[in-house]
Amino acid sequence: MEFLQAIEQLAPIRALRISFYAYPLVNAAHVLAIGALVTSVTLMDLRILGFLTAQERRPFLKLMRRVGIAAFCGAAATGLLLFSVRASEYFFNPAFRLKMVLIALAGLNLLALRLFASGPGGMPRERSAVIFAGLSMVLWLGVLVCGRFIGFL
Amino acid sequence: MRMLSKIGRLLSLSLALGLVASPSAFAHHGWSWTEDEYSELEGTITQVYVGNPHATLEIDVDGENWRVELAPPSQTVRAGFSEDAAKPGDTVTAIGNLSLDQNERRMKAVRITVNGKTYDVYPNRVPSN
Repeated sequence: MEFLQAIEQLAPIRALRISFYAYPLVNAAHVLAIGALVTSVTLMDLRILGFLTAQERRPFLKLMRRVGIAAFCGAAATGLLLFSVRASEYFFNPAFRLKMVLIALAGLNLLALRLFASGPGGMPRERSAVIFAGLSMVLWLGVLVCGRFIGFL
Repeated sequence: MRMLSKIGRLLSLSLALGLVASPSAFAHHGWSWTEDEYSELEGTITQVYVGNPHATLEIDVDGENWRVELAPPSQTVRAGFSEDAAKPGDTVTAIGNLSLDQNERRMKAVRITVNGKTYDVYPNRVPSN
């Protein structure tokens, strides 16, 4: 709790809290990053599931992975800023907590995919990766919905 | 082509799920979640927050905690209210719209009065007497 309140008192966070332009812009960047993240993840998962076969598998998955990782970093950075403005409140928000759990599960799911269903170069295998791809789509959509609900609880 | 229609079906399914899951998500920004008529709350302030996404007061009304939502910070400050204008323990009178959900103790205020000063955070919504 003290740690959360200390975050809120950092000078740049205090400025962000009462800013007219910065906060909505950070918010917009967060939405942009999440849009890019969910889009790249969904396209990647669909390709693993056997859709979008017009796209050559290897380069397409590589590109989507690059976009996805960059988008995740952007979403995490902007999300941390939005959280910091009212950390001691959001920390106890049920939608926020569920969102963090789902992100952790999505991370574990990715780890499991890499460990148990990937070949050389981290390429997901044709068959065994399917279950992880399906789970990934559900989890990231869940993250998006939970994120939207934070402001309404 | 067959692949496309499969994806189309998948997308419309997730869109439909999203819409079903989110009726209450059309809330707290704006007034869609509040009653049309105005109410008045009087209580003791327990917490003052003036910041993004909008300013809030936590107030104690007869032992129950109510959340009073004000305007976004720039608009709240323009109305003359700031975190220095009120502190826990002060008595506040808030006029605004209560949540349509009777179980939710939440008001979107248009006018608050603290320490003898009146702040119209949504001046164009303050009801004429």
